[in-house]
Amino acid sequence: MPAKELVRPCLDCKDAEAVLDTRKRQYCGNCFQRFAAHKVLLRMSKYKQLKKETGQTPKLLLPLSLGVSSSVLLHIINGDIERQLANTFVNLGFELTILVIDPSTILTPDAKYNQAYEAVTKAFPKLTFNRLPFHSVFEYVSDMKEIVQEYAGSSFTDDESLSNEDRLTTFRASISTATSKADLDSVLLTRLVVGYAKSLGCGTVVWGDSDTRLAAKTLAGVAKGRGASLTWSVSDGMSPWGVAFDFPLRDLSKPELEQFKGVCEELSGIVVPDEPISDNVLTKNLSIDELMMRYVRTQGEKYRGVMANVSRTANKLESTTGSDDVLCPLCGGHVGNVKGNSGVTVANQSSDNYSSKFCYGCMRSRPGANC
Amino acid sequence: MAPTACFNCKEARAVIIRPKNRHKLCRACFLEVFETEVHETIIGTNLFYPGERVAIGASGGKDSTVLAAVLKTLNERYRYGLDLCLLSIDEGIRGYRDDSLETVKRNAVQYDMPLEILGYGELYGWTMDQVVAQIGKKGNCTYCGVFRRQALDRGAAKLGIKHVVTGHNADDVAETVMMNLLRADLPRLSRGTSIVTESGASDIKRSKPLKYAYEKEIVLYAHHRQLDYFSTECIYSPEAFRGSARTLIKDLEKIRPSSILDIVKSGEDMAALVPREVNQSGKKCGSTAAAEDDVGGCGSQNGRTSGGEMAAMEKELAENESAESRETEIRLPKGPPSSVHLQKTVKKQTLGHCERCGYLSSQRICKACNLLDGLNRNRPKTAIEVSVGLEDEEISSTLMRQMERTELTNS
Repeated sequence: MPAKELVRPCLDCKDAEAVLDTRKRQYCGNCFQRFAAHKVLLRMSKYKQLKKETGQTPKLLLPLSLGVSSSVLLHIINGDIERQLANTFVNLGFELTILVIDPSTILTPDAKYNQAYEAVTKAFPKLTFNRLPFHSVFEYVSDMKEIVQEYAGSSFTDDESLSNEDRLTTFRASISTATSKADLDSVLLTRLVVGYAKSLGCGTVVWGDSDTRLAAKTLAGVAKGRGASLTWSVSDGMSPWGVAFDFPLRDLSKPELEQFKGVCEELSGIVVPDEPISDNVLTKNLSIDELMMRYVRTQGEKYRGVMANVSRTANKLESTTGSDDVLCPLCGGHVGNVKGNSGVTVANQSSDNYSSKFCYGCMRSRPGANC
Repeated sequence: MAPTACFNCKEARAVIIRPKNRHKLCRACFLEVFETEVHETIIGTNLFYPGERVAIGASGGKDSTVLAAVLKTLNERYRYGLDLCLLSIDEGIRGYRDDSLETVKRNAVQYDMPLEILGYGELYGWTMDQVVAQIGKKGNCTYCGVFRRQALDRGAAKLGIKHVVTGHNADDVAETVMMNLLRADLPRLSRGTSIVTESGASDIKRSKPLKYAYEKEIVLYAHHRQLDYFSTECIYSPEAFRGSARTLIKDLEKIRPSSILDIVKSGEDMAALVPREVNQSGKKCGSTAAAEDDVGGCGSQNGRTSGGEMAAMEKELAENESAESRETEIRLPKGPPSSVHLQKTVKKQTLGHCERCGYLSSQRICKACNLLDGLNRNRPKTAIEVSVGLEDEEISSTLMRQMERTELTNS
């Protein structure tokens, strides 16, 4: 049989036309999917080990934003589960639940989110899905109402007659800057995900952050005074609420996940594309999170490895949380300085009597904060 | 529009919007607030002791001039009992240093402080202009940085002073934090933010009292006190990791002015979270490490970074990654926990003295002497004897030229 005439063969199978390039290698669609899945499943293999050691099946929660990254993660994990289920002796390493926090209750309501949710539940019939509105954070985190009221201070009056939905809307409306809005939204989202995970008895949350996003989160966290929280917000490890955080996509960049989506037919129609950040927005009107995402993506085109190194560096930091540490009731970060830090940045804002209770990062995002 | 009253005293007319928190202040209140904040930093960190002799590393630029002025004011106001003097280093960069040194000389008179000027020429036999003539504009910051660090220590030792303060500000520290994150430098991440860089072995302590002061406020302070300073950037500064970090920080400041201080705070916290085995190697190797990680060496760029560093690191990372797929990982069988412990030991550097100059070094020969070696090797003995003792490369080029000439005559 004569060999296939290929213009640009895939470097892995050498049997198909390459459709994309990454890390100085050309791949066909299937080989690239296998390459990416391998990176993820290697990180997920620890659960099987854990099951073997403890004799209990670890329960995982995967928060799905319906965006590119978490959808690709879901697709890869689902593929693995289906392969396992096809075996005679089924041995799944974990139990998985998927949580979608309705994007319509976070961003502006849009029918496309409903369609995407319908599509995703249909595409993965063997998995358990749940959908919650953003304001259910008040249900799943019991003292959240009190925390929010105390946190917001005088510039926000909570009206108890209002529904949870309206209370959350008023609170979010009381925050003035784009940075603080994005910051507090992510704090509340994390709390809701953790609260839900706990209600299900899940020991681990599997986040769908790409390596690009982790680098941006690291830099943004540092810029927002949340450096001490990096040990769990971007590193694999125990969060302050006793639920472990895991980031199995940390070896793949956002552009690679977009390439994955491009070659994976099952994902079309499921993924809601990210809102593009317009180039016309003035820098000062961006949120710090957006600025960092933009920075990491543009720099990543030229310096992919350097950007990937940022999240790897953050992952090396070691948590020192002891039982006597005071943690922020809102975000779970350290109140005051981490043990061993003798800096006086905190003392500079001691005139503010709230700072004794909430952490430095949260104080910066407080409604009416001067910064 | 009616003039706004000062946020602080509510009486005088506000003339300044504080870059740090956008408070509107009058001139007197701003100066007062700025000085008080530096005072709080000094008290909060127990920076000085009464009767201490302190040398101010003075470049004639805004940071060190403000530092000298504020320290003099605070020393008198709060009776620190410090014995202050100015210490200047002359790198020998014509057009940059000549004028700024004149400024330092005037400052010495204005603040009534003794001044000591040490030149690279007399210390090392090379001025920066000569170094640049020799090695070109790329990578010369390494020389400048290494030489300056030793020069400050040597100058202080010459004056019998054990504490040198430098004018590094919050912007510099924030830049360093971001830069060390970008280049994945954990040991420096753990040291770069601390207000005092002190080493167990060296008896000279370095500190930066303006660590929490914004660069913009330093400029405002200098302006409103009408301080005499010299404003220029080093003419040899290249672009690198620090450049990238600097751009990022300027953008962040536009979004949220407090973010510079927030980065400093994050940096301080992260320093405490750097794993001990990484951290230790830095602390144990003493002054060389402590001295090397000084931020913002020449006021514009950190000494170590040269133009292509970011690209070079990217190349290395990409090569490592492609090599990874060709490697087979060999794992040792899991042994008792002691073997895990063994893996974590990081080679410790022991501190000694440079065999040549006697300066503290973890190597047999200190970095400055190493660099000097390289420079001196290529220095022609005299300007006329160019053809004597040429290296191979140059011989070949001379030959080439001769051959070209022959060809020309032939044609």
